[in-house]
Amino acid sequence: MSAARKPRDQVAMGLVPGPFHDRLAPLNVQQGWMNWMGVASPSVLDTVEFEYFAIRNQATVFDISPMNKYRIAGPDAEAVVNRLVTRDIRKLKPGRVAYAIWCDEEGNVVDDGTVFRFDDGTFRLCCQEPQLAWLRDVAFGFDVTLTDESADVAGLALQGPTSCAVLKDMGLAGVESMKPFDIRSFKVKAKSVTVSRTGFTGDLGYELWMAPGDALTVWDHVMAAGQRRGIRVIGFEALDMARIEAGFLLPRVDFLSSQTHMRPGRARNPYELGLDWLVHLDKPHFNGRRALVRLSKERPRRKLVTLEISRDKPAHHAYVYHRGKKEVGFVTSALWSPTLKRNIAYAWVDAPYCFDGRELSVEIYRQRELIWQRRMERATLVDRALFQNPRRTATPPADF
Amino acid sequence: MSWDAIVIGAGHNGLVAAARLGQDGKRVLVLEARDDPGGLLGGESPVAHLPTALNPAVVKGLALDRHGLKPGRPLTTVALGGAEPVRISGGTVTGTDPTTAAAYAAMHARLVRQAGALAPMMAKTPPRLRDGGLAEMMTLAGLGLKIRRLGKADMQDLLRILLSNIWDVLTDEIGDGPLAGALAMDATLGGAMGPRSPGTVLPFLYRLAGQPRMRVDGGALIGALLKAVQAAGGQVRTGTSVERILVGDDRVEGVRLNSGEELRAPLILSNAHPRQTLNTLLGVAQIDAEDARRARLMASEGMVARLDLTLSEPPAGLDAADFGERLVIAPDMGALETAFNAAKYKEMPARPVLECRYDDGAKRLTVNAQFVPCTLKGGWTKAARGRLEKAVTGMLDDALPGTAARVTAIETRTPADIEAQYGLPGGHWHHGEFRVDQMLMLRPFGGAAQYRMPVAGLYLCGAGAHPGGDITGLPGWNAAGQAIKDGRAGK
Repeated sequence: MSAARKPRDQVAMGLVPGPFHDRLAPLNVQQGWMNWMGVASPSVLDTVEFEYFAIRNQATVFDISPMNKYRIAGPDAEAVVNRLVTRDIRKLKPGRVAYAIWCDEEGNVVDDGTVFRFDDGTFRLCCQEPQLAWLRDVAFGFDVTLTDESADVAGLALQGPTSCAVLKDMGLAGVESMKPFDIRSFKVKAKSVTVSRTGFTGDLGYELWMAPGDALTVWDHVMAAGQRRGIRVIGFEALDMARIEAGFLLPRVDFLSSQTHMRPGRARNPYELGLDWLVHLDKPHFNGRRALVRLSKERPRRKLVTLEISRDKPAHHAYVYHRGKKEVGFVTSALWSPTLKRNIAYAWVDAPYCFDGRELSVEIYRQRELIWQRRMERATLVDRALFQNPRRTATPPADF
Repeated sequence: MSWDAIVIGAGHNGLVAAARLGQDGKRVLVLEARDDPGGLLGGESPVAHLPTALNPAVVKGLALDRHGLKPGRPLTTVALGGAEPVRISGGTVTGTDPTTAAAYAAMHARLVRQAGALAPMMAKTPPRLRDGGLAEMMTLAGLGLKIRRLGKADMQDLLRILLSNIWDVLTDEIGDGPLAGALAMDATLGGAMGPRSPGTVLPFLYRLAGQPRMRVDGGALIGALLKAVQAAGGQVRTGTSVERILVGDDRVEGVRLNSGEELRAPLILSNAHPRQTLNTLLGVAQIDAEDARRARLMASEGMVARLDLTLSEPPAGLDAADFGERLVIAPDMGALETAFNAAKYKEMPARPVLECRYDDGAKRLTVNAQFVPCTLKGGWTKAARGRLEKAVTGMLDDALPGTAARVTAIETRTPADIEAQYGLPGGHWHHGEFRVDQMLMLRPFGGAAQYRMPVAGLYLCGAGAHPGGDITGLPGWNAAGQAIKDGRAGK
């Protein structure tokens, strides 16, 4: 045995530092780190309320590098992506992004994510779950190259009303003309940065993509330009509040990938998830199409609904009842929305209550100085995307 | 040109399916890529030189006797390589000591009873384990009932050995030797499993389910099937290779030939290998990634090479009574296992085990040698063929000393040659390994065992479908039956 081996650097909590870690670590006064695909990702840096309000009133940065990213390139790239996802990707033009879901042979959702189309034959898939094995299965027999570029591309989400102004201050000429879901390439301090007008907040916002080696340079430039625009670094907890208001689903929280659940019957299809609008049954065969054709004709057995709940206590992990007695569902995500001043939640509710929605209530427990109180709060069905603001889509964005 | 149904491949199962569809009043066209019909039963020296498993339901259903098929005669297997030849015919064995012969007779009787419980499943579409209707549940319940009716001792014994290996069963019952070697050959014939591989008892029971095994003449069988197809108004076109199955609106519409010609039919039965049918002829774009993966990964590595030996005079020491009979040269089960060990690692076995037949008229000894991997390490070079021929003649000379010197010519077909000549992935006789995870409701793979393929109007009718390989005619018979039933139900 050789004694000359140097001990390896210890990594806190077994997590790997991401490309922005050197800047995030000193700011993370709470030392709140989460495991996101094995990367240390901040949950909250100092105060979740400040971070949340910065999303809705200023500009925020959040490291999205741990997301899984796959490049699909080659003559058959469009055919492969169109075979993978349920929406008709042939309609996606180069330089554009689309939100999409993909299904297994039983029509259950494998994952959701965004599809970037750089040119006719080059796509990138950004998603939550590792998908390389699935992509290889889907691409078998087609002329494409699949590359897992998760570790080769750093991503920084710049979200909030002043985000466009920050980019303009950075010198990104013409960035204000980008429409939602546009992709464009820029130079930042001589570094190549791809900007997409996308995000997970339902607000005005952009995502910046770059080589990991350029990450700190770009970060410093963003933060310097953002000084005057109230820029703030945020963690996942604040983002989670914004995404619930905006109506976005979170895999592993609101639904499970059909490839990861163990028990039968835990997978969910697009009709149950309320994502019918993403399923284009009229395009050529795609994965799960035959099952989806059948499911499209049946009434879902349950649905993921959005509930508005009386009073102010978020209904975390609450059961949903019909007439206060019959248990008909449970809450997956819950939030007192500070912007909307409404108490909202996503919940799985069985048919027919998910359609009718009358006389639903949720069971809320509150602890007051060690004494538990149980209340049944009235719940009503509401549309999913409750936070709607014209600045999300306004082009050019107003100069806040 | 338009037809009621097109059958891809004029192997015996394709012809059986075509004849049954024809009997139902359909105008059927059979397309065969090779220049002669019959698949592995066709050609000048058929790979399947000893068909013994033809199912009586097929003979009766297609009235093959009226089309010239003579009744078969019982099969005798002669196990060579021991002190004296061991002759096996049904439950009777000669050439062994009386204790072994008695033990064999008892074991045979019990295994035939147990196999009989499985037999009704063979002529039926395997039931789905979920989402199946009442009829399918009844099929499943019927199987359970049949097994229960064996009585407690037989049932317990069946459940004990069902997933076991043939080595253990034969060692327990009769001990090792040429008799066990020949029987273990039955359990592993045409496959990529040695006698010690788990799951080798089930193929053995499968082959016993068709007792008594009757030898039919392969050429006469194909002739009778062709007549049955023609009598039912069907046509067979040889030398016609299908390039693509055409699909529109998620239904089959016909086929496009390599010549570019398109033929229309709302119903297509494919006698080709499941992998070829789905991933090549239909194309992966038409099916879900899961099915494409299953078709791609199904075990189908052929391990039987075929050698045709021309002899100057009959094999030395072979009794004239055994001319034309099935000769097995597998001195014991260890010989099979050792040969399989090499093949498992893609190497040539030094001592392959042989199943032979001597035709005195043609002075030809046809030899099926296993286990010889299709994807041999280093490839099938001329030297590799030479090694194979040397190994086979060496085995032959050990069992029948002096025979090697009588060989005047050898014509060799490796599994890779069989793959190329018959368009058969892996050169696998049975269109996919014959083992527990690819049998019954899992043949060719889970979710595809009911002959129907995902695109409406497409059916599998070859050995890749239930009940599988050997010359039974049942996959074709069952597939046609399923297609007719679905047609009546408006599917």
